[in-house]
Amino acid sequence: MMEYSEDELLAVLLSREVRDGEISACGALSQIPAAGLLLARELHAPNAEILILRSAFDPFHTSRQFHFLAQRGEMGLFFVSGVQIDRHGNYNLHQLGPDPERPKARFPGGYGGGMIYYAARRTVVFRTEHTRRSLVERVDFVSAAGATPPDVLRRGHPSKMVTPKATFRFDKNAAVFKLDTIHPPWTLDDIRANTGFELDVKGAIPATPAPTEEELHVLRHVIRRRMIDTGTYAAWAERSLGN
Amino acid sequence: MGVPYVPVLGLVGTDLLKRRDDMVIAVDPFDGRTKTVVAKAMRPDVAVFHAQKADRHGNVSCGYEAEVVMLAEASRHVIVTAETIVERLSEKEATGAFIPGIHVDVVARAPFGAHPAGCAGLYGPDKAHMAEYVAASQDDASFDEYLRTYVLDVKDHDEYVERFVPRHWREPARAVGE
Repeated sequence: MMEYSEDELLAVLLSREVRDGEISACGALSQIPAAGLLLARELHAPNAEILILRSAFDPFHTSRQFHFLAQRGEMGLFFVSGVQIDRHGNYNLHQLGPDPERPKARFPGGYGGGMIYYAARRTVVFRTEHTRRSLVERVDFVSAAGATPPDVLRRGHPSKMVTPKATFRFDKNAAVFKLDTIHPPWTLDDIRANTGFELDVKGAIPATPAPTEEELHVLRHVIRRRMIDTGTYAAWAERSLGN
Repeated sequence: MGVPYVPVLGLVGTDLLKRRDDMVIAVDPFDGRTKTVVAKAMRPDVAVFHAQKADRHGNVSCGYEAEVVMLAEASRHVIVTAETIVERLSEKEATGAFIPGIHVDVVARAPFGAHPAGCAGLYGPDKAHMAEYVAASQDDASFDEYLRTYVLDVKDHDEYVERFVPRHWREPARAVGE
């Protein structure tokens, strides 16, 4: 069995969500999705348009151009993360604590995500930490909403959540994340112990297909080199891929 | 744009919307059914921003910083500081985002006027200074100290540049700019 880091695993799992011929994007401070986007284009999606905000893979000069592309419905896939993600598909990029007037911690926030969540056909939410504090029943602050009343204009929805231990699929009708696959060697008990919301599992949960030798090889050699050469999270790529 | 509000996709269901009185949910007037957020137009009294180059007629060339074009159009009064001011921007100099002088009240020369942030194409952010700013913003006392040092106790922009813009930035950039 091949060894790989959590960052490498996440980059591979995110890359598999990219579809050929679509526009797929990630925002600023997004090294793992950036690696996933580049990997997908190298492997199964050679004609994917990829857009890594504020990098050599960003065709735009203003945030208005990015905003309107998304709003027009041209974006197939967007990758996003949050300090907290909840069962209902909401994520929080703003603040922590029960009292919104006196937050225990504040984060950069952001308003674009609240729009792109409605605009991109699919959004994959990821988190580098699978714990009870990061995956919760209700986020402390809703920066972007998973579900919407039927009479509100919305083009796209959350599609998946990916963590270092499991993947979840968003059930649009029930408007909740449901456990989809578990990354070996983790077990259902591990997921239950580390998830802050009810899993509501019926039956066996399949194992996540492990990163293949090809995926890891291309990520560690071709993509690592490309990220370093283009100054796309170069320090991260050097440190985190293939070590 | 000169219109009172614009529809915006998204944001319904967020806590952001609860805290803003300039964005509300409205029904599409054409289909009478679908709802979106509408955002109230902003009409600032004064916009102040920094640009790469301006001329004596108030024309401004702002490189890639095209967002300020909209800001200049929306604001009643516009004050622009620029790295350099020339007699009249040539066709070649009026590249990138361009703001015609009709929108601009005042231009003033302020080399390194974006410091400690960057000015696209000319210099990047001053990372050491930014780290100091982030550290200072941890609490009120350290932020007051930051303000005293870099803003309140500084006589004018020349003194600021002399004391706080790294020396090795200034010499080559000035030689190029003038």
